[in-house]
Amino acid sequence: MMKHIEEVKNNLQDEIKLVTTLKDADQLKIKYLGRKGIINDLMRIIPTIPSDQRASFGQQINSLKVEITNIIEELIKKFSSETVPKAKKEIFDVTLPGKHPFVGKRHPLTQTIDDIKEVFARLGFDVAYGPEVESEYYNFEALNIPADHPSRTDFDTFYIKNDVLLRSQTSTVQIRIMEKQKPPIRIIAPGRVYRPDTVDARHSFMFHQVEGLLVDEGVSFADLKGVLNQFIKTYFGQNVQMRLRPSFFPFTEPSAEVDISCSICGGNGCSVCSYSGWVEILGAGMVDPNVFKAVHYDAEKYTGFAFGMGVERITMLKYGINDIRLFYENDMRFLSQF
Amino acid sequence: MKISYNWLKEYVNFYLSPEELADKLTNVGLVVADIQTVDDDFCMEVEVTSNRPDCLGFIGIAREVVAAVGGSLHFPETDYKTTNKEISKFINVVVEDSMLCPRYTARVVQHINLGPSPEWMQKRLKCIGLRPVNNIVDITNYVMMETGQPLHAFDLDKLSDKKIVVRKAMSGEEIVAINGARRALFHDMLVIADSKRPIAIAGIMGGKETEVCDSTRNILLECAQFEPRQVRRTSKTLGITSDSSYRFERGVDTEGVDFASRRAVKLIKEYAGGEVANGVIDIRSRKHAASKITLRMERLHKVLGIEIKRDVASDILKRLQFNVLNEVDDFIDVEVPSFREEIYREIDLIEEIARIYGFNNIPTKTSISVRGSVKSKYEVVEDCIRQFLIGMGFYEVKTFSIVDTSPLQSVNLWSDKSGIDIANPLRQEESRLRTCLLPSLINAKRYNENHGIEQVRIFEIAKVYLAGDKLPQEKTCLSILADTDFFTLKGIVSALLLNLGISSRCEWTVFSELRLFADERAARIQSGNITIGYIGEASKELGFKTSPCMVELDMDYFVESSNISKKYQALSQYPHVLRDLAIIVDEEVTWVSIEKCVMSAKASFLKEINFFDVYRGKQIPSGKKSIAFNICFQAADRTLKSEEVDAAQQIVLDALYKTLGAELRK
Ligand SMILES: [Zn+2]
Repeated sequence: MMKHIEEVKNNLQDEIKLVTTLKDADQLKIKYLGRKGIINDLMRIIPTIPSDQRASFGQQINSLKVEITNIIEELIKKFSSETVPKAKKEIFDVTLPGKHPFVGKRHPLTQTIDDIKEVFARLGFDVAYGPEVESEYYNFEALNIPADHPSRTDFDTFYIKNDVLLRSQTSTVQIRIMEKQKPPIRIIAPGRVYRPDTVDARHSFMFHQVEGLLVDEGVSFADLKGVLNQFIKTYFGQNVQMRLRPSFFPFTEPSAEVDISCSICGGNGCSVCSYSGWVEILGAGMVDPNVFKAVHYDAEKYTGFAFGMGVERITMLKYGINDIRLFYENDMRFLSQF
Repeated sequence: MKISYNWLKEYVNFYLSPEELADKLTNVGLVVADIQTVDDDFCMEVEVTSNRPDCLGFIGIAREVVAAVGGSLHFPETDYKTTNKEISKFINVVVEDSMLCPRYTARVVQHINLGPSPEWMQKRLKCIGLRPVNNIVDITNYVMMETGQPLHAFDLDKLSDKKIVVRKAMSGEEIVAINGARRALFHDMLVIADSKRPIAIAGIMGGKETEVCDSTRNILLECAQFEPRQVRRTSKTLGITSDSSYRFERGVDTEGVDFASRRAVKLIKEYAGGEVANGVIDIRSRKHAASKITLRMERLHKVLGIEIKRDVASDILKRLQFNVLNEVDDFIDVEVPSFREEIYREIDLIEEIARIYGFNNIPTKTSISVRGSVKSKYEVVEDCIRQFLIGMGFYEVKTFSIVDTSPLQSVNLWSDKSGIDIANPLRQEESRLRTCLLPSLINAKRYNENHGIEQVRIFEIAKVYLAGDKLPQEKTCLSILADTDFFTLKGIVSALLLNLGISSRCEWTVFSELRLFADERAARIQSGNITIGYIGEASKELGFKTSPCMVELDMDYFVESSNISKKYQALSQYPHVLRDLAIIVDEEVTWVSIEKCVMSAKASFLKEINFFDVYRGKQIPSGKKSIAFNICFQAADRTLKSEEVDAAQQIVLDALYKTLGAELRK
């Protein structure tokens, strides 16, 4: 039996020398390793040999098989690299595109609101909400905007009936919260607001604001600057600069408009910042004592600050969106970009 | 307000380029929005907030420049010679309503030479966008721009009976204004009249008939103060605005009226000649009562968070022309000048000081106390829903809360009252608060279809507004529209409920709202006896190329019933046994009745039942259907034996046969 094996080995050595092409190598593979090949022939005689020798014979065939396989594979490898292109084999094209799963997105305005909420959450601000349909008192009187006051003209408003209106600012939530809670207060209030503005690329009769309010003992304008600066650096980037300009809001005093250095031009001036290098992003100020009076807070004991920002405006700035109407058309080609 | 760079230098010396000046003004709160070169001058567009009418004139802006950069304010000349003819010989003025006209002054100039105004004046007016007319009109405009106080010149000879009456309009009266607009006047409007007719709408615009024209020789110069609200209302009602109404609406300085009048007469005498009658008619019911305010330095420190020295603070106030009465220790007593009437409290002074000191010179402190914020249940649920749906491939949309009054938009799933109308809508398309979100999602779907996107999966979380007592009920809803079949959407809703830990079983019953849903292919979703939503295939009438399904759900219910806190359930050590079954039942038998029957059959070890499919057709008798499902058995303490499961399964089959006549499909 051993003789068989030796013979096979010798024959193979001779035949290897005759292999000059890939085809020769393939034929050799069939001859030795094929279903009707020499190795299988050897296997088939196993049952015919005495049972005490079967095991060792089997083992020898196996090691022979491994040896031959290695030799022939080596040959195939050698020749296949040399040979001219053979019949084309199906390739596994890893560059084909992946199959797209359904992927949803939050609306870009929600993303902005969520981002703002997150920054302020780190600063200890809770989220508060208030009604969108309000009585005049919350939208005006309590915010130190008496009827017929010149500043009312700054606040065009949709009315439902006498005394009931669609809030034109989220500042209403300040009053709602302070009526319910005693200081300290630290909230932000995101939500929809309404103003009868004719719709164009910059205006919408409905838009979103985020209002902020902090009231406590010993809160100063310097703290307002600190909190806003923290927000701006976290939200817009560490290199962004903040600038405050005096302004006027009936419910804060002193009042400020807050600008950030234009990230488009880096402060050198471009069309986004009207060549000023600065972009207005929010209004803020110290809560006016008259507002505290309306909610029966002791204005001598407590001080506080409030701020408000337009969500659409910030989102437009962030992504370079030039038309506010895009937010409400809900075109999938738009929504999928964010 | 537009200002000329060169003109401003009349009132204050400064050595700043237009850009530097713009910066300084912006930093004290007068934003310069634009700078344009006009010949050898610059026109600067200054944004003046509604609380600062004193800055609607060059002198007021010059005062801010002084406050910001120092220097002194130069007031223009007001001296002129008069004749010895008393003004009372020329005109008789009666102010009938002194509330609406706290001060009225008149001066008369005779024998003027009407002609063009001097070149330098025309140049300045043109620089700020005013068209030169003639010397008299130009001078009134010039002085208005200079002082912020509007003036008007009448042709004296056209006033009937040498009479001026400041009174309410009478019914039936009308006027043709200088701009040619003819307006009927109403009783609540204030007019300037002569003995016969209105000759000006008080504070808004003069009348055409008495305006200064080529033939004018003698003029009456009116310089007055009118009540702001009155001017605003009348201007709005008549639809006429002017530089004059703009200023009166915001309030003019009652003490500045005579100054402006004298200034104008001085210029008229100089550039139009003539003789000025002696004296002035000055009828006033009101004098400026100067507010006295005490500023506590300690309060200033507390509000601003910076210690500003007393002399620095008082210097700022002086530069703003506040009269500092006293400054000792920790206090400054001031008297507020007449042109800053909006200032009456300590906090107002603090703002003035902060503004001029420079907001950007106040430190940026980060000393607020540490506090951990807490998410409300609403926020947790909203985030959870959003994340779930986005994970399922949905896009969030945002649509308007104000909609039209079409039948589709009038759908109200939540109340039988009608929607709330806006009293002053801009357009019919946006005139009512919505009562349902789905029509807006339908519009969003349509918009996308029109733009070549046929498959959408969208949702919105927003409010609907249901008529209430005083304020409406604002109900937060979650609405979904998706190009999926009914049962896929239903599955998503069920999974969502499960995700929110809402374990109570919902009932789904057939529902009809043909404006939204296809007939007999919609359901009301109830939990107990509360309706929590409506789901269905979109009505074919909506005309979509695809057949989307949609659902509107009550978010408030979700927030209330959700149970986000999770608790671990021990995993069973023993395998479950699944048995696949198919039964044949009458067409009318619903899945829910099968489910109920199986679950209440009291079969041992029965854990759950899972639906596979419904089959009708070959091998199934007509009027019947085959329903395939599996039932799951499991014991907590051991592996079930096959015979035990067989027995339990038989109990289920017997129950199905008995209650529903269901036969096992072989
Ligand atoms: Zn820029």
